[in-house]
Amino acid sequence: MSEVRKPRDPVTGHVKALAKGFKYLVEPNRMTLDYPAETMKLPPNYRGFFTVDDKKCIGCSMCEMVCPPEAITMVPRIIGEGGKTIPAPEGEKEAKGPKRTKRPVVNWGKCIFCYFCVDVCPVDAFIPTQVHDLAFEKDSEYRPSYEEYLKPPEEPYKNAKKVVSKADLKRGVGYDPAP
Amino acid sequence: MGIIPIPLIIWLIEDLLYLIIFPGLVTILVIVIVIIWLERKIAAKVQMRFGPLWVSKKIGGALQSLADLLRYSFQEVIIPEKADKLAFILAPGLMFAFATIALIFIPVGPYYSVLFPSYYTILFSLALIIITPIFAITVGWASDNKFSFIGALREGFLLISYEVPFLLSVVSMIIIFRTYDYISAVQSQLSFLPGIILNPLAALTMLIVMIRTTGRFPFDITEADSELVLGLYTEYSALFFGVGMATPYVELYNFSLIFSLLFLGGWWPFTLNVMNPIYGLILPGIIVVIKAFIVMAILVFLRAVYPRYRLDQAVRSGWSYVLLLSVLSVILSVGEVVFLR
Ligand code: SF4
Ligand code: SF4
Repeated sequence: MSEVRKPRDPVTGHVKALAKGFKYLVEPNRMTLDYPAETMKLPPNYRGFFTVDDKKCIGCSMCEMVCPPEAITMVPRIIGEGGKTIPAPEGEKEAKGPKRTKRPVVNWGKCIFCYFCVDVCPVDAFIPTQVHDLAFEKDSEYRPSYEEYLKPPEEPYKNAKKVVSKADLKRGVGYDPAP
Repeated sequence: MGIIPIPLIIWLIEDLLYLIIFPGLVTILVIVIVIIWLERKIAAKVQMRFGPLWVSKKIGGALQSLADLLRYSFQEVIIPEKADKLAFILAPGLMFAFATIALIFIPVGPYYSVLFPSYYTILFSLALIIITPIFAITVGWASDNKFSFIGALREGFLLISYEVPFLLSVVSMIIIFRTYDYISAVQSQLSFLPGIILNPLAALTMLIVMIRTTGRFPFDITEADSELVLGLYTEYSALFFGVGMATPYVELYNFSLIFSLLFLGGWWPFTLNVMNPIYGLILPGIIVVIKAFIVMAILVFLRAVYPRYRLDQAVRSGWSYVLLLSVLSVILSVGEVVFLR
């Protein structure tokens, strides 16, 4: 028969926990950021939403191959005037012939923001940003078309106070205005 | 006017009273919205956060739940391809409906007769309350999702282990009051002692079972968001999700009303026995609802303190401590009836 572990004392622990909870209820010690009014100053290598430079990309599909959750889809495109691409004709799945190429589109529902794609790209075509707090209303908005994907993401709370966190000996965590 | 006879007007007003205030759809809505806000706010305070704040900042984010309700109403409804569609759509609604219908049989004042003067209100309300978890299991089955299914299985395990103590604790109160009716149960408390003093063991059992049935912490096992995404409601969205989330709070309201009627002396400080809608329903009703609200507030406070039990721990304590408590409470009741009266 396996040994059944019994709680040492069924009453004291509960009473202690409840008393402590009640103490915090009466004198709350709030440490969290007052978010939309204040936002953190992010470190320079913070990984946010990113888009791609249509002219720089050479359509090599390295990003598609390296993406761990398979969030990137390559869409067929045709190189038009000035190096910009235009959509390939309907029904064309493969990029064949001269001027035919491919461009990556990210499915934000799958992307884990590992930035493997940004690192692997041989021509540094991706344009990273630090915007991380976008909200999507519909399921379909997670999967932008290539044209939608090209638009740079907009930071939602531009006028928020920027702060940096610090260790506060009394409260645990505190915030200072960003330098 | 003079054409409409006065009895008819009184009759109409009474009907409206029942519809709006007690048991009343408006009361349920307000209670559910306020208690959800209170739960989030209490948990946030204890856990060093702010909680809901930015919707109506001046009153501490009290309108957040209303805003959530609006959001759920206009959200995109996603029904999974492989779900059992009829059951998927119907189950949350039925669950909510049964939880709400159970309220009809819980009188909040001596002058309360929605359907008929019944001598079996305790039995009716219990029967309806016990039906709701069946729809919870239906939800888990219909979603065709492993997380929902595991949630439903857990619900089934817990349901079986805690239903017996629940019924036994109510049975022990029935033995003491010698009635199946809430109104006469309250009246015998008014003339003697409140039920929580007569049988504290039954009160404790009932509290534990309330926490478990409505999925408050530490019995948050069926939803367990760190293990099961969202348990039963993983596949739900929009209003279906909102209804599913609100149902435990309606059940909590049900149970708290029953608790204050059976154990806290019902409309205790107010003992005037006048049979009219104001003194027989509204005033006692307000007292009962305030008592129930205090019980609810204490129970939602537990969320801030407790971690979650594992399924086996919860089932084991259900079949050992809680069952033992409830059997002792029945023995206590029988003893009191034999020796005291
Ligand atoms: S950041 Fe990572 S997950 Fe996202 S698209 Fe690039 S490789 Fe894929
Ligand atoms: S973005 Fe970079 S890695 Fe991806 S296809 Fe274009 S060039 Fe290749």
